[in-house]
Amino acid sequence: MKAIMKYLSVTVLTLLCSAAWSFDFEEEFKKVLKDGVQKKIEEKSDAATSSALLGLVGISQEEEITIGRQIAGNLLGASALVKDQGLQSYVNNVGRWVASQSERPDLAWHFGVIESSDVNAFAAPGGYIFLTRGLYSLLQNEAELAGVLGHEIGHVIRKHHLKILQQSSLVDLGGKLISKRIGGNDKVQKLIGNGAEIVARSLDKNAEFEADRIAVVLATRAGYDAFALPEVLQQIGHFAKDDGSVALLFKTHPHPDDRLEKLGLVMNDRLEDVKGKTLVARFYRIKP
Amino acid sequence: MNLIKLGAALFALLVMPAFAAEIGNVIRADGIKVEPFRDAKTIAMLSVGDKVEIVKKNGGWLQIKSPKGKGWVHMLNVRKGDMRKDSGDLGGLLGMASGRAGTGKIVATTGIRGLDEVELQSAKYNETELNLVESYTINRAEAQVFATQGKLVARKFDYLPSPDVSPE
Repeated sequence: MKAIMKYLSVTVLTLLCSAAWSFDFEEEFKKVLKDGVQKKIEEKSDAATSSALLGLVGISQEEEITIGRQIAGNLLGASALVKDQGLQSYVNNVGRWVASQSERPDLAWHFGVIESSDVNAFAAPGGYIFLTRGLYSLLQNEAELAGVLGHEIGHVIRKHHLKILQQSSLVDLGGKLISKRIGGNDKVQKLIGNGAEIVARSLDKNAEFEADRIAVVLATRAGYDAFALPEVLQQIGHFAKDDGSVALLFKTHPHPDDRLEKLGLVMNDRLEDVKGKTLVARFYRIKP
Repeated sequence: MNLIKLGAALFALLVMPAFAAEIGNVIRADGIKVEPFRDAKTIAMLSVGDKVEIVKKNGGWLQIKSPKGKGWVHMLNVRKGDMRKDSGDLGGLLGMASGRAGTGKIVATTGIRGLDEVELQSAKYNETELNLVESYTINRAEAQVFATQGKLVARKFDYLPSPDVSPE
């Protein structure tokens, strides 16, 4: 009995300590975020910012954009935009139209095609979405582009990256205890780790399957053929596993065949009689 | 180097006809329908593992030919080709050397590099490129105009449930 009491009190003490610690991390996390946001949005009142910070994923939209902007800037440091204004405008039109069908139609969505022969696409919080020239070159029509962008839009609206960022950053803060002398951008940078590594991190498999389901629904709502994303996945599934251009994509995502399998289970019955456009003629062909 | 590329490209062209008639494997039992619609008449049943020849795609349907009959099956019940390469074959090497990727489509012919984890980790913030991508931003009203030009009409459609929690 005594032993049990002893064990219990130790457990309670441990719990109290860890609660106190995580509270500290969260405070620190909030403070860093707040500083970053206030650099950008001066007129935002303290109270509004602070109250928006409460809750598990209680990061305000402004804070989310600040984080996403930093990640996007880093990603563009690794691979610059394809210098083709017609292409970039086209992708923004398609992406914005698809994003308008989501529950975050008023976010200032940004889309870009970046210079890389890899086949991949990336999403950063706040609506920054990029796909590589390598992936774009595989696409055959506008519906396929809509499907690919829809998958990334899915990550943004469900805040998949923000969630893992928040979890890992809290842990990271405990170890380092951020220096007070560094500037605004540097502070946000501290939160997101090195460069744009956050976009190379694997999400939970279910987050990827969820983003696929969101993609086909947003494409459907936007008037496109819902089966365009599956078509792209089939193509990507044909790549050899040891092909360097899909190495990172295959490492961070379930195999396309598994994604197709999951989509088949829910799409066949519900979407078999839903027709949509592919818009082959309007598709912007990228200059080689 | 250019000769190697040319050789690889020629080789790829030579082996292309072998892939011209695309073969698919049935991964879920499905009925062959006379039209690409749910209520169309079913003329035969395909079993898992059956091979079919893919004629064309229409939305979620593939027109196929098989010894059991000719008609339409759900696209997602057929896995295209048996080209899932695991490792150690020539496909990847050829793909990289020629800019082809085993799909019969040119991925990139210029010497653009990839984008791996190391590059992403060491990436340095580029404000100029960030401002450039933000300058391309389209607002909601502009996107609506773009959609109308393409005769795209927004429609309601519920999110799909996770297959893992739906009752079988």
